[in-house]
Amino acid sequence: MFQVNADVIAKEEVIPGVFSLTIVSPVISENAKPGQFVHIACNQGGNFILRRPFSIHRIVPGKAFEILFRVVGRGTEALSRVKVYDILDVIGPLGNGFKYSERITSALLVAGGLGLAPLLYLAEELTNEQVKFYPMLGAQTKTKLLRYIDFKRIGKKTYVATDDGSSGHNGTVADLLNRTIHYIRPEIIYACGPEPMLRKVAQTADEFGVKCQVSLETKMACGVGVCLGCACVTRQGYKMVCKDGPVFDARDIIWDKEEIEPTLLGGYRCETAKVSDPG
Amino acid sequence: MKNPVMPASGTFGAGREYSEFIDLNCLGALVVKTVTLRPRDGNAPPRLYEVSSGMLNSIGLQNEGIDHFIEHDLPYLRQFDVPIIINIAGNTLEEYAQLCREIKGVEGISGIELNISCPNIKAGGIAFGASSRLAEQVTAAARYNTDLPLIVKLTPNVYNVSKIAQAVVYGGANAVSLINTLVGMSIDTNTFKPHLGNITGGLSGPAIKPVAVRMVWEVAQTVKVPIIGIGGINSTLDAIEFLLAGATAVAIGTANFVNPRVMIEIIDGIESFLRQRNMSDIRQIIGKVKV
Ligand SMILES: Cc1cc2nc3c(=O)[nH]c(=O)nc-3n(C[C@H](O)[C@H](O)[C@H](O)COP(=O)(O)OP(=O)(O)OC[C@H]3O[C@@H](n4cnc5c(N)ncnc54)[C@H](O)[C@@H]3O)c2cc1C
Ligand SMILES: Cc1cc2nc3c(=O)[nH]c(=O)nc-3n(C[C@H](O)[C@H](O)[C@H](O)COP(=O)(O)O)c2cc1C
Repeated sequence: MFQVNADVIAKEEVIPGVFSLTIVSPVISENAKPGQFVHIACNQGGNFILRRPFSIHRIVPGKAFEILFRVVGRGTEALSRVKVYDILDVIGPLGNGFKYSERITSALLVAGGLGLAPLLYLAEELTNEQVKFYPMLGAQTKTKLLRYIDFKRIGKKTYVATDDGSSGHNGTVADLLNRTIHYIRPEIIYACGPEPMLRKVAQTADEFGVKCQVSLETKMACGVGVCLGCACVTRQGYKMVCKDGPVFDARDIIWDKEEIEPTLLGGYRCETAKVSDPG
Repeated sequence: MKNPVMPASGTFGAGREYSEFIDLNCLGALVVKTVTLRPRDGNAPPRLYEVSSGMLNSIGLQNEGIDHFIEHDLPYLRQFDVPIIINIAGNTLEEYAQLCREIKGVEGISGIELNISCPNIKAGGIAFGASSRLAEQVTAAARYNTDLPLIVKLTPNVYNVSKIAQAVVYGGANAVSLINTLVGMSIDTNTFKPHLGNITGGLSGPAIKPVAVRMVWEVAQTVKVPIIGIGGINSTLDAIEFLLAGATAVAIGTANFVNPRVMIEIIDGIESFLRQRNMSDIRQIIGKVKV
């Protein structure tokens, strides 16, 4: 991981409210792997302080990387006002990415909304490894379907689902997966998107005995594994999304709060008494 | 100490991660995340939430326990030429005492910081740091079981912090550090649920700095031992404020998450601050607030 002051060399409002930034950093671009993320200081003097995490969306080899983000709050809003030639303070590449090898016979890349961000980078690497893969993209509506052409160009066959049926399957991408998995028969699924979607994808994968890796999102402070703030619950106990993830084997994730209680909370390692300064 | 700047417990782990960003040998000291007798899993997520000029956390003192620390973290830390301060917490006086005994004779630890924000189970769950009597007892229990310099970290969630400071000095503290986080809460107005899994959490960051400076100033009027000022320090001038209020050193917490290089920038910044004013000794500003 590196901390760099990096030039923004390209910016695009891909659709209203969704932006891409291309940021120059040879060290980050050389060391990155698909599924890893960067931690960006988005405010310059605002009243919020923490960095914001973004998946690496694409790489300009040896030179730069691209992020793709939706404006949802003050951090992403500030980032959307960045101009070409502005300098950003970036830490990266962070986390553990997707695990893959050239031996995979076929992969299915399931993206919900902006979850496609890390999956395009993965798709490009799978192409380099000559692994056959199928993109499966979900969006609210046809106009919000991003990077379709890019996936279609390199993917075996690209599946699409929209909530309003304006393109492809009428319904969610998790729903589409459920209907098609038995004939696509991928060896492995790589998924990224909102948690309810990931949970369903994981369930389907499990039902059909297909390996599945999911990229999770949580709020983060440090991004490097120090503050222990971005915990998620796994069968091996709490794991940090920033350092142990953000990509996890879907079978390790405990999605239901009810399931947590007996395994962790009140378990022998957890002293239940409340701490007044709970650092 | 080479300089008066160190990380605040829990914001620097045991140094490994940030060693990729800065040279740990440049720090005045290295304070590690709280270590408890047995491993702790920590609290249920979500564990953090950002608020205006600060953040709430409810990590829950997640750590692997003292044995793991001595076996796995300390050997790593020993390679650096920096005083290592271990921060410990317990749920009973006996646990603090036992932790001190476990550390006895272990090579590579230069001091102990007591996190006394934990509830005393035997005293009905009231935090050690919230009562002068308990605070003095826990300090004395540690003092009896260690010869190392003893720093007691004070919680701001009390009515009169100076009284607690006085009590821990009676108990045998060689220094005090303050402040730990302020208890806070934040609610999601869409779901009506608290933002933290633990409901409440500790507020840190720039938002708490004025409270921390005030408390350091009050404590500096009351006790003679050195004070480590903590709370919302983000820049050189923030650190200078604490020194003026009476702190002899400062610890940096949340700001590390924002900028891993911040401590190095503050170390250099304090030096140039003094140089620009033709001062040769940091003592020329410690406690020199004009009131
Ligand atoms: C490893 C990782 C990779 C990520 N990659 C990307 C990426 O490639 N592109 C991208 O656009 N985002 C990505 N995110 C999410 C992104 O970090 C957040 O959207 C961002 O931090 C929000 O900051 P903010 O200050 O704008 O919003 P905040 O002020 O923090 O939140 C504003 C509102 O948005 C909601 N919100 C927060 N996060 C999300 C979210 N992830 N999705 C929907 N609503 C949210 C909050 O609940 C709140 O209501 C990633 C997150 C992680 C952990
Ligand atoms: C994520 C996080 C974890 C913390 N963990 C601990 C801890 O384990 N032990 C402790 O004594 N203080 C802990 N603290 C408190 C800090 O050491 C410090 O007292 C407090 O954050 C105020 O300083 P700041 O505003 O510079 O962050 C923690 C703070 C944060 C933000």
